[in-house]
Amino acid sequence: MKPPPVKYARAGDVQEAIALLTEHGSDAKVLAGGQSLIPLMNFRLARPSILIDINRVRELDYVREDNGTLAIGAMTRQRDVETSSVAAASVPLLPEVLRHVGHITNRNRGTVGGSLAHADPAAELPALVTGLGGELVVQGPNGVRTIPAEDFFMSTFTTALEPDEVLIGVRLPRLPGGTGVAVEELARRHGDFAIVAAMAAVHLAPDRSVDLVRLAVSGVDSVPVRLHAAEDALTGGRPSAEAIEAAAATVADAIHPADDVHAPASYRRDMAQLLVKRVAKAALERSETKS
Amino acid sequence: MTIIEPVESQTKYTGTRVRRTEDPRLLAGRGQYIDDVTVPKMIEAAVLRSPLAHARITNIDVSRARAHPGVFDVLTGQDLATVAGQQPVIWFPIPEQRIAKTHALAVDQVRWVGQAVAAVVAVDRYVAEDALELIDIDYEPLPVVADLDAALAPDAPKLYDDWPDNVSGSLTYTAGDPDAAFASADLVVSASFRHGRAFGCPLEPRGCIVNWDTFAGSLDVWLSTQSPNLARDLLAEVFGIPVHKIRVRTPNLGGGFGNKFDFYGEEVIAAVLSRRTGRPVKLIEDRAESFVATSHSRDQRLDFEMALRSDGTILGLRGVSYGVLGGAFGTVGSGPPWASVLTCMGPYKIPNMDVTVKAVMTNRSPYGSYRGWGVPKGNIVHERLIELAARKLGMDRTEIRRKNFPAPEEFPFFTGVAFTYDSGRYADCLDLATSKIDELGWRERQARARAEGRSVGIGYSFHVEPSAYGPSRILNLVGLAHSGFDEVTVRMDSIGKVTIYSGQINMGQGTHTIYAQLAADTLGIPMDDVVVITGDTDSCPYTGYGTGGSRAAPLGGAAILRAGERLRAKILRIAAELLEASPEDLQIQDGQISVKGTTGRSVSTRDVGDAAYRRLLNRLPEGETPTLEEVDVFDPPNMATSYGCTALLVEVDRETGTVSLLDCLQAHDCGTVINPMLVDGQLAGGLAQALGGALLEELVYDEEGQLKTASFMDYLLPTAMEIPPFHFYHQETPAPDIPGGIKGVGEAGPIAGVSLVGSAIDDALSDLGVAVTRFPCTPPRLLELIREAQSRKEGSA
Repeated sequence: MKPPPVKYARAGDVQEAIALLTEHGSDAKVLAGGQSLIPLMNFRLARPSILIDINRVRELDYVREDNGTLAIGAMTRQRDVETSSVAAASVPLLPEVLRHVGHITNRNRGTVGGSLAHADPAAELPALVTGLGGELVVQGPNGVRTIPAEDFFMSTFTTALEPDEVLIGVRLPRLPGGTGVAVEELARRHGDFAIVAAMAAVHLAPDRSVDLVRLAVSGVDSVPVRLHAAEDALTGGRPSAEAIEAAAATVADAIHPADDVHAPASYRRDMAQLLVKRVAKAALERSETKS
Repeated sequence: MTIIEPVESQTKYTGTRVRRTEDPRLLAGRGQYIDDVTVPKMIEAAVLRSPLAHARITNIDVSRARAHPGVFDVLTGQDLATVAGQQPVIWFPIPEQRIAKTHALAVDQVRWVGQAVAAVVAVDRYVAEDALELIDIDYEPLPVVADLDAALAPDAPKLYDDWPDNVSGSLTYTAGDPDAAFASADLVVSASFRHGRAFGCPLEPRGCIVNWDTFAGSLDVWLSTQSPNLARDLLAEVFGIPVHKIRVRTPNLGGGFGNKFDFYGEEVIAAVLSRRTGRPVKLIEDRAESFVATSHSRDQRLDFEMALRSDGTILGLRGVSYGVLGGAFGTVGSGPPWASVLTCMGPYKIPNMDVTVKAVMTNRSPYGSYRGWGVPKGNIVHERLIELAARKLGMDRTEIRRKNFPAPEEFPFFTGVAFTYDSGRYADCLDLATSKIDELGWRERQARARAEGRSVGIGYSFHVEPSAYGPSRILNLVGLAHSGFDEVTVRMDSIGKVTIYSGQINMGQGTHTIYAQLAADTLGIPMDDVVVITGDTDSCPYTGYGTGGSRAAPLGGAAILRAGERLRAKILRIAAELLEASPEDLQIQDGQISVKGTTGRSVSTRDVGDAAYRRLLNRLPEGETPTLEEVDVFDPPNMATSYGCTALLVEVDRETGTVSLLDCLQAHDCGTVINPMLVDGQLAGGLAQALGGALLEELVYDEEGQLKTASFMDYLLPTAMEIPPFHFYHQETPAPDIPGGIKGVGEAGPIAGVSLVGSAIDDALSDLGVAVTRFPCTPPRLLELIREAQSRKEGSA
């Protein structure tokens, strides 16, 4: 398990990283927390000719509220976000979801941007950003652009990032006070990638009708999936078991699970539906207790 | 004047929770494992492995690899076969069995994914792996025998052209009149049980450093092994060089679990590369390779049925244990599936039996040793069937077990197949376990959970663990081409300190600690005065077999006690000369020898050492040989059978098929307990492995014979997050045939823990009538069982 020969360069800031990427093109790979890239290199499945290390790019390490948006720098360690009071107050789903990402040792090293740019369809963070309608902020030789999450994740391990672009951060809309959130993950062990993960955020209007629903699943398609039809089925009405059933009934059409060694596609489909029911119910219960 | 009561019992370490002497250096990161060892001028090798499960090698071109900068040598199977014989096999339990042997590197045909086909040695491992990519091999694919059904199909492709089919052999044991027993039974329960492939997966993979000195004709080997003496004998066989010219040393082991008992091709490859380059060669198995290159195990199907009377008395047992072997034999051949048949009656009196082992070859990695060695599958047969019977008969699950135990006075108890269990108080052990279930309040927890609509169940497993392998001549008789005795040297030196030399290996069990405890108590000296040396065939004695078969404590322990007794007698004779007293009147305590019941003059072991080694005049008795050393060889008259009753509390999620482990206890009898803390450690570690095998771990092959679970992403070891709390309770019934009364304990957990999970899941779902027969019981598999049972129930309602 020794990687093939690889060159190494350390970028001091984003501009330098972009310059190195421009110079080396698609042979280069950006090194963030290394939690996926380094094992892939040791298996000789990833063979970049050069690693561009952005761990010293301090400007990308931040969690802050910005005009109704939670902004997180790409090089912020997952554990720092998990324990951030700013993040918890703004997007309470975030710490709940992060607890399912690997183990604490992985999150100490793993970065928010690394997980998003790696784009494993079973990973939790891409599903959260997709589900909440977040935006990815990327920078290339021509400047900064933002990409909606549903456009960013294109397929398994594939994103809309150009070879000369660096993911510099992510922006998540602040959830209104009193929003109930819930995460359910079905994994073979604690800390594993999800067979299926589902997450929900629900907010109730003063008349107790549902005025905001966000639902997302991971592990059941080549990309994380925001469940628009299920959200629509719940939005506007009063929370009820029937409404949750109706929402869950739309899940099967929204996902394209595959077989793997841990579970057949049929199991994933059934479990996606079940977990959506569970998180919708839990998020509703929590939103009620808060309002 | 103070009156001191004479103390007869010297025991002070045995039976106490002495901390492990091994731990401080290991915990401080100062251990030395195989990859920490370097020797001068050493170079590093890597192995190229077959990407196909079954193929003919039509051409190998190593020229590009050989030309790669930094490469010393490239080795193919044809090169290797000119200097090395085939990989040895030591277990032949099935008479007239066909033995599938192979060279350490495939010569013209590959029979499993991961079979070694070539090797490179280079300045370092990085360069060696780069060069592996430059070896060009042409394969002509052959039809793949991917699993047991494919292997047994009438028109199955054959792994070995000169065999009539893919069956290596089969052997049937009968007892009583099984046909009559089944004909007259009130109830027959049957099932086809399956255990998936798994392996011991030591966190330190295997590795070796070999230096072949062609001038001396000698091999100097560092090897991460549980069986250095066996490795030395087998290296001698493979290369035809004398045993005394081979030295095998063993550094710290980061786990063995039986996997490092076996003798592997890499040892041979490294030796040949060293011979060809004139350099010491290190060959480390990396994590990725370990999934295909370390012995697999557990893979079995067991089709069994049990006949009973309506009162729960077992009348008969019959069935077949299919061992799903790999593309060639490992060191222990078909031993483990055979051991399943030997133990399939477990702790029960079953007068009529017809039980068969059938060893079948497939295009999978070779089968080998893994902690439990077939007995976990024997346990699945008797424990799952007796619970199915209890369910049919409406009997309590513990009562039906109790009804079929041999009583303590029926021991030694012949099982009807091969083993004679030495001793047992099975009903007492069962009662101990159930009383602890009550104390821990499991039944209340279960009732509360059920009232809330949750599915909580209690599982049981009663297991037997044949340990202290074993009487050498009997092992030979049942097909082992090796012995089972153990030899130790106990030496007191010129300043009265003691060194024990043993052929056993310390791989996490705490062998050095318990050996020091036993020696200190026997000799009457402080534990700090004892050093234990293992892991060097030049300085340590021979042990039969190796460190496996739960033998280090009972056999090594007995030999230390016997040697220690004789050494103590000699120490007392010399001290008697020094004290001008009679040896019979003397005692040793804390290394001081004095006349019993007095507070008068004493001498120390230091004085005795000096008299035996340096200043003998007027001090060493006439006729007494100088030095203080005793050697003991202990070949047990019988094995020692441990046993226990394990219970598990689980919760099942009926909507997802997931199982949470809530609590676990084991009541256990391994005879004399030398160190309760270390016994607890053995039990806990073993149970963790079993729980992994029952729920998580599986080496999954597809229909092309490709391994789909070749990393820790997919081969799921349990972590501390998955394992329940453990509670252990010791019942001590000394082993009658082992001095010191010690029984082995290393394999209790793996044997007990798999059927245990099935029992607990069944109980959690008792209203549905689910019966778990396939392991690991993954969430999709369990959900399927639940849904089938639910639709059965709805259909009948």
